[in-house]
Amino acid sequence: MSDADADPDAAADIDDEVDGEGTLSRPASERPPYVESTIIMTTVRVIAPFVLTLGAFVMLHGASSAGGGFQGGVIAATTVVMLGFAFGIEPIAAHLRNEQLALLVLSGVGTFLVVGFGGYLVGGNFLQVSGYETLFHNGSKYSIELVEVGIGVVVSGVITGLFFLLGTGVDTGAEETDTDTEPEADR
Amino acid sequence: MTPLEIVATVFVVVGTFFGLVATVGIIRLPDLYSRLHAASKSDTLGSVLSLAGLAIVLGLTTESMKLVFLVVFLFVTSPTAAHAIARAAKEEEVEPIGEGEVPWTTDQEEGNS
Repeated sequence: MSDADADPDAAADIDDEVDGEGTLSRPASERPPYVESTIIMTTVRVIAPFVLTLGAFVMLHGASSAGGGFQGGVIAATTVVMLGFAFGIEPIAAHLRNEQLALLVLSGVGTFLVVGFGGYLVGGNFLQVSGYETLFHNGSKYSIELVEVGIGVVVSGVITGLFFLLGTGVDTGAEETDTDTEPEADR
Repeated sequence: MTPLEIVATVFVVVGTFFGLVATVGIIRLPDLYSRLHAASKSDTLGSVLSLAGLAIVLGLTTESMKLVFLVVFLFVTSPTAAHAIARAAKEEEVEPIGEGEVPWTTDQEEGNS
Protein backbone atom coordinates (compact mmCIF):
# COMPACT_ATOMS: atom_id res chain seq x y z
CA MET A 1 0.00 0.00 0.00
CA SER A 2 2.84 2.36 -0.73
CA ASP A 3 0.48 4.33 -2.92
CA ALA A 4 -1.73 5.21 0.00
CA ASP A 5 1.31 6.16 2.05
CA ALA A 6 2.39 8.73 -0.54
CA ASP A 7 -0.03 11.22 0.97
CA PRO A 8 0.03 10.87 4.77
CA ASP A 9 -2.78 13.40 5.36
CA ALA A 10 -5.26 11.53 3.21
CA ALA A 11 -4.29 8.26 4.84
CA ALA A 12 -4.94 9.79 8.24
CA ASP A 13 -8.38 10.94 7.08
CA ILE A 14 -9.27 7.46 5.99
CA ASP A 15 -8.01 6.05 9.25
CA ASP A 16 -10.73 7.94 11.11
CA GLU A 17 -13.42 5.96 9.36
CA VAL A 18 -11.92 2.58 8.60
CA ASP A 19 -9.06 0.56 9.99
CA GLY A 20 -6.26 1.62 7.67
CA GLU A 21 -5.36 -0.87 4.98
CA GLY A 22 -7.54 -3.63 6.36
CA THR A 23 -10.51 -2.47 4.36
CA LEU A 24 -11.51 -6.03 3.52
CA SER A 25 -12.44 -6.62 7.12
CA ARG A 26 -15.13 -3.97 7.07
CA PRO A 27 -18.59 -5.42 7.55
CA ALA A 28 -21.06 -4.79 4.76
CA SER A 29 -23.02 -2.20 6.72
CA GLU A 30 -20.04 0.17 7.01
CA ARG A 31 -19.02 -0.04 3.38
CA PRO A 32 -20.20 2.65 0.97
CA PRO A 33 -22.94 1.40 -1.38
CA TYR A 34 -21.58 -0.20 -4.52
CA VAL A 35 -21.96 1.95 -7.64
CA GLU A 36 -22.09 -0.09 -10.81
CA SER A 37 -19.95 0.83 -13.79
CA THR A 38 -21.45 0.57 -17.26
CA ILE A 39 -18.10 -0.33 -18.81
CA ILE A 40 -17.42 -3.20 -16.46
CA MET A 41 -20.99 -4.50 -16.60
CA THR A 42 -21.07 -4.50 -20.40
CA THR A 43 -17.71 -6.21 -20.71
CA VAL A 44 -18.60 -8.85 -18.17
CA ARG A 45 -21.92 -9.51 -19.93
CA VAL A 46 -20.09 -10.09 -23.20
CA ILE A 47 -17.12 -12.02 -21.79
CA ALA A 48 -18.75 -14.27 -19.18
CA PRO A 49 -20.19 -16.96 -21.52
CA PHE A 50 -16.87 -17.23 -23.33
CA VAL A 51 -14.96 -17.58 -20.09
CA LEU A 52 -17.30 -20.32 -18.89
CA THR A 53 -16.91 -22.11 -22.23
CA LEU A 54 -13.13 -21.82 -21.96
CA GLY A 55 -13.29 -23.25 -18.45
CA ALA A 56 -15.27 -26.28 -19.64
CA PHE A 57 -12.90 -26.65 -22.62
CA VAL A 58 -9.80 -26.65 -20.42
CA MET A 59 -11.48 -29.03 -17.97
CA LEU A 60 -12.37 -31.57 -20.66
CA HIS A 61 -8.97 -31.30 -22.34
CA GLY A 62 -7.11 -32.44 -19.26
CA ALA A 63 -7.16 -36.09 -20.29
CA SER A 64 -5.52 -35.66 -23.68
CA SER A 65 -3.54 -32.41 -23.73
CA ALA A 66 -2.71 -29.29 -21.76
CA GLY A 67 -5.36 -28.38 -19.24
CA GLY A 68 -7.06 -30.20 -16.45
CA GLY A 69 -9.57 -29.99 -13.67
CA PHE A 70 -7.72 -27.50 -11.51
CA GLN A 71 -7.06 -24.94 -14.23
CA GLY A 72 -10.50 -25.32 -15.78
CA GLY A 73 -12.17 -25.06 -12.41
CA VAL A 74 -10.36 -21.83 -11.64
CA ILE A 75 -11.33 -20.38 -15.03
CA ALA A 76 -14.95 -21.39 -14.51
CA ALA A 77 -14.93 -19.83 -11.05
CA THR A 78 -13.57 -16.64 -12.59
CA THR A 79 -16.97 -16.18 -14.20
CA VAL A 80 -18.61 -15.83 -10.81
CA VAL A 81 -15.80 -13.60 -9.57
CA MET A 82 -16.24 -11.34 -12.60
CA LEU A 83 -19.97 -11.15 -12.01
CA GLY A 84 -19.21 -10.16 -8.44
CA PHE A 85 -16.90 -7.38 -9.61
CA ALA A 86 -19.44 -6.06 -12.09
CA PHE A 87 -22.72 -6.27 -10.21
CA GLY A 88 -21.57 -6.06 -6.61
CA ILE A 89 -20.60 -8.95 -4.39
CA GLU A 90 -23.62 -8.96 -2.11
CA PRO A 91 -26.29 -9.35 -4.85
CA ILE A 92 -24.35 -12.22 -6.43
CA ALA A 93 -23.71 -13.83 -3.06
CA ALA A 94 -27.44 -13.63 -2.34
CA HIS A 95 -28.09 -15.75 -5.44
CA LEU A 96 -25.58 -18.45 -4.50
CA ARG A 97 -26.29 -19.91 -1.09
CA ASN A 98 -23.40 -21.44 0.80
CA GLU A 99 -25.32 -24.69 1.08
CA GLN A 100 -25.52 -24.85 -2.71
CA LEU A 101 -21.78 -24.28 -3.01
CA ALA A 102 -21.09 -26.95 -0.41
CA LEU A 103 -23.40 -29.30 -2.34
CA LEU A 104 -21.49 -28.51 -5.53
CA VAL A 105 -18.16 -29.28 -3.87
CA LEU A 106 -19.51 -32.46 -2.33
CA SER A 107 -20.91 -33.64 -5.66
CA GLY A 108 -17.47 -33.15 -7.21
CA VAL A 109 -15.83 -35.14 -4.43
CA GLY A 110 -18.55 -37.77 -4.84
CA THR A 111 -17.90 -38.04 -8.58
CA PHE A 112 -14.21 -38.54 -7.92
CA LEU A 113 -14.88 -41.20 -5.29
CA VAL A 114 -17.45 -43.03 -7.42
CA VAL A 115 -15.05 -43.26 -10.35
CA GLY A 116 -12.22 -44.15 -7.99
CA PHE A 117 -13.99 -46.94 -6.14
CA GLY A 118 -15.62 -48.06 -9.36
CA GLY A 119 -12.15 -49.21 -10.32
CA TYR A 120 -12.50 -51.99 -7.75
CA LEU A 121 -15.86 -53.05 -9.19
CA VAL A 122 -14.46 -53.53 -12.69
CA GLY A 123 -11.56 -55.56 -11.36
CA GLY A 124 -8.68 -53.19 -10.69
CA ASN A 125 -7.27 -50.84 -8.10
CA PHE A 126 -8.47 -47.46 -6.89
CA LEU A 127 -8.77 -45.13 -9.92
CA GLN A 128 -7.51 -47.87 -12.26
CA VAL A 129 -9.55 -46.63 -15.20
CA SER A 130 -8.35 -49.26 -17.66
CA GLY A 131 -10.99 -51.56 -16.20
CA TYR A 132 -13.75 -49.35 -17.59
CA GLU A 133 -12.75 -50.39 -21.11
CA THR A 134 -14.64 -53.64 -20.57
CA LEU A 135 -17.82 -51.73 -19.74
CA PHE A 136 -18.04 -49.37 -22.68
CA HIS A 137 -16.00 -48.09 -25.61
CA ASN A 138 -13.22 -45.60 -24.71
CA GLY A 139 -14.12 -46.22 -21.08
CA SER A 140 -10.79 -45.18 -19.62
CA LYS A 141 -10.79 -41.85 -21.45
CA TYR A 142 -14.32 -40.95 -20.44
CA SER A 143 -13.78 -41.94 -16.84
CA ILE A 144 -10.62 -39.81 -16.64
CA GLU A 145 -12.59 -36.88 -18.01
CA LEU A 146 -15.32 -37.53 -15.47
CA VAL A 147 -12.67 -37.34 -12.75
CA GLU A 148 -11.38 -34.09 -14.27
CA VAL A 149 -14.87 -32.61 -14.27
CA GLY A 150 -15.29 -33.66 -10.66
CA ILE A 151 -12.02 -31.95 -9.71
CA GLY A 152 -13.05 -28.88 -11.69
CA VAL A 153 -16.39 -28.67 -9.90
CA VAL A 154 -14.65 -28.93 -6.53
CA VAL A 155 -12.09 -26.26 -7.41
CA SER A 156 -14.64 -23.83 -8.83
CA GLY A 157 -16.93 -24.29 -5.85
CA VAL A 158 -14.12 -23.71 -3.37
CA ILE A 159 -12.78 -20.67 -5.23
CA THR A 160 -16.24 -19.15 -5.43
CA GLY A 161 -16.89 -19.82 -1.76
CA LEU A 162 -13.56 -18.33 -0.69
CA PHE A 163 -14.16 -15.26 -2.87
CA PHE A 164 -17.54 -14.63 -1.31
CA LEU A 165 -16.07 -15.27 2.12
CA LEU A 166 -13.42 -12.60 1.52
CA GLY A 167 -15.79 -10.24 -0.26
CA THR A 168 -18.68 -10.24 2.17
CA GLY A 169 -16.53 -10.09 5.29
CA VAL A 170 -15.61 -12.86 7.68
CA ASP A 171 -16.49 -11.36 11.03
CA THR A 172 -20.23 -10.75 10.67
CA GLY A 173 -22.60 -12.91 12.62
CA ALA A 174 -24.74 -13.77 9.61
CA GLU A 175 -21.89 -15.67 7.98
CA GLU A 176 -21.90 -18.60 10.37
CA THR A 177 -22.77 -20.99 7.58
CA ASP A 178 -19.48 -20.04 5.92
CA THR A 179 -17.56 -22.01 8.51
CA ASP A 180 -19.39 -25.09 7.28
CA THR A 181 -17.85 -24.59 3.86
CA GLU A 182 -14.30 -24.33 5.09
CA PRO A 183 -13.60 -27.99 5.89
CA GLU A 184 -14.38 -28.79 2.26
CA ALA A 185 -12.01 -26.01 1.22
CA ASP A 186 -9.14 -27.92 2.79
CA ARG A 187 -9.47 -30.85 0.43
CA MET B 1 13.07 -15.30 -44.35
CA THR B 2 9.89 -14.86 -46.27
CA PRO B 3 8.30 -11.39 -46.27
CA LEU B 4 5.52 -12.74 -44.05
CA GLU B 5 8.05 -13.84 -41.45
CA ILE B 6 9.72 -10.42 -41.55
CA VAL B 7 6.35 -8.76 -40.90
CA ALA B 8 5.69 -11.16 -38.03
CA THR B 9 9.14 -10.47 -36.57
CA VAL B 10 8.50 -6.75 -36.72
CA PHE B 11 5.18 -7.29 -34.92
CA VAL B 12 6.77 -9.36 -32.17
CA VAL B 13 9.71 -6.97 -31.72
CA VAL B 14 7.44 -3.92 -31.52
CA GLY B 15 5.16 -5.77 -29.11
CA THR B 16 8.12 -6.65 -26.90
CA PHE B 17 9.18 -3.02 -26.97
CA PHE B 18 5.78 -1.93 -25.70
CA GLY B 19 5.93 -4.57 -23.01
CA LEU B 20 9.29 -3.12 -21.95
CA VAL B 21 7.78 0.37 -21.89
CA ALA B 22 4.99 -0.89 -19.63
CA THR B 23 7.50 -2.50 -17.28
CA VAL B 24 9.63 0.63 -17.05
CA GLY B 25 6.46 2.65 -16.43
CA ILE B 26 5.34 0.39 -13.60
CA ILE B 27 8.74 0.60 -11.92
CA ARG B 28 9.52 4.27 -12.46
CA LEU B 29 6.23 6.15 -12.17
CA PRO B 30 5.33 7.46 -8.71
CA ASP B 31 1.76 6.49 -7.82
CA LEU B 32 -1.00 4.02 -8.63
CA TYR B 33 -2.82 6.05 -11.26
CA SER B 34 0.20 6.93 -13.37
CA ARG B 35 1.50 3.37 -13.10
CA LEU B 36 -1.88 2.10 -14.27
CA HIS B 37 -1.80 4.61 -17.08
CA ALA B 38 1.57 3.29 -18.22
CA ALA B 39 0.74 -0.36 -17.74
CA SER B 40 -2.73 -0.64 -19.24
CA LYS B 41 -2.12 1.02 -22.60
CA SER B 42 1.36 -0.25 -23.41
CA ASP B 43 0.78 -3.70 -22.04
CA THR B 44 -2.41 -4.16 -24.06
CA LEU B 45 -0.71 -3.04 -27.24
CA GLY B 46 2.41 -5.08 -26.51
CA SER B 47 0.64 -8.37 -25.91
CA VAL B 48 -1.78 -7.83 -28.78
CA LEU B 49 1.05 -7.07 -31.21
CA SER B 50 3.08 -10.07 -30.08
CA LEU B 51 0.10 -12.41 -30.44
CA ALA B 52 -0.70 -10.91 -33.84
CA GLY B 53 2.86 -11.63 -34.95
CA LEU B 54 2.51 -15.25 -33.84
CA ALA B 55 -0.82 -15.53 -35.67
CA ILE B 56 0.76 -14.20 -38.86
CA VAL B 57 3.57 -16.76 -38.67
CA LEU B 58 1.13 -19.63 -38.15
CA GLY B 59 -1.02 -18.71 -41.14
CA LEU B 60 -4.62 -19.90 -41.47
CA THR B 61 -4.72 -22.70 -38.90
CA THR B 62 -6.73 -23.58 -35.82
CA GLU B 63 -3.95 -22.26 -33.64
CA SER B 64 -3.93 -18.87 -35.31
CA MET B 65 -7.72 -18.71 -34.93
CA LYS B 66 -7.26 -19.28 -31.21
CA LEU B 67 -4.65 -16.51 -31.18
CA VAL B 68 -7.07 -14.16 -32.95
CA PHE B 69 -9.66 -14.92 -30.26
CA LEU B 70 -7.02 -14.19 -27.62
CA VAL B 71 -6.20 -10.88 -29.28
CA VAL B 72 -9.85 -9.86 -29.38
CA PHE B 73 -10.47 -10.77 -25.75
CA LEU B 74 -7.26 -9.13 -24.56
CA PHE B 75 -8.24 -5.99 -26.41
CA VAL B 76 -11.58 -5.96 -24.58
CA THR B 77 -10.63 -7.20 -21.12
CA SER B 78 -7.30 -5.51 -20.46
CA PRO B 79 -8.55 -1.90 -20.59
CA THR B 80 -11.63 -2.95 -18.63
CA ALA B 81 -9.44 -4.43 -15.91
CA ALA B 82 -7.41 -1.23 -15.76
CA HIS B 83 -10.64 0.77 -15.54
CA ALA B 84 -11.88 -1.45 -12.73
CA ILE B 85 -8.62 -1.08 -10.77
CA ALA B 86 -8.61 2.70 -11.16
CA ARG B 87 -12.26 2.86 -10.17
CA ALA B 88 -11.71 0.73 -7.10
CA ALA B 89 -8.74 2.89 -6.12
CA LYS B 90 -10.85 6.03 -6.42
CA GLU B 91 -13.64 4.48 -4.37
CA GLU B 92 -11.12 3.56 -1.68
CA GLU B 93 -9.92 7.21 -1.79
CA VAL B 94 -6.39 6.50 -2.93
CA GLU B 95 -5.01 9.98 -3.54
CA PRO B 96 -2.99 10.69 -6.67
CA ILE B 97 0.40 12.19 -5.98
CA GLY B 98 0.35 15.97 -5.86
CA GLU B 99 2.23 18.43 -8.01
CA GLY B 100 5.86 18.89 -6.93
CA GLU B 101 5.83 16.02 -4.45
CA VAL B 102 8.80 13.70 -4.63
CA PRO B 103 7.93 10.13 -3.72
CA TRP B 104 11.37 8.59 -4.01
CA THR B 105 13.10 10.35 -1.12
CA THR B 106 10.30 9.59 1.34
CA ASP B 107 10.14 6.00 0.15
CA GLN B 108 13.83 5.48 0.79
CA GLU B 109 13.78 7.24 4.15
CA GLU B 110 10.99 4.99 5.35
CA GLY B 111 12.87 1.90 4.30
CA ASN B 112 10.79 1.45 1.12
CA SER B 113 7.60 0.70 2.94
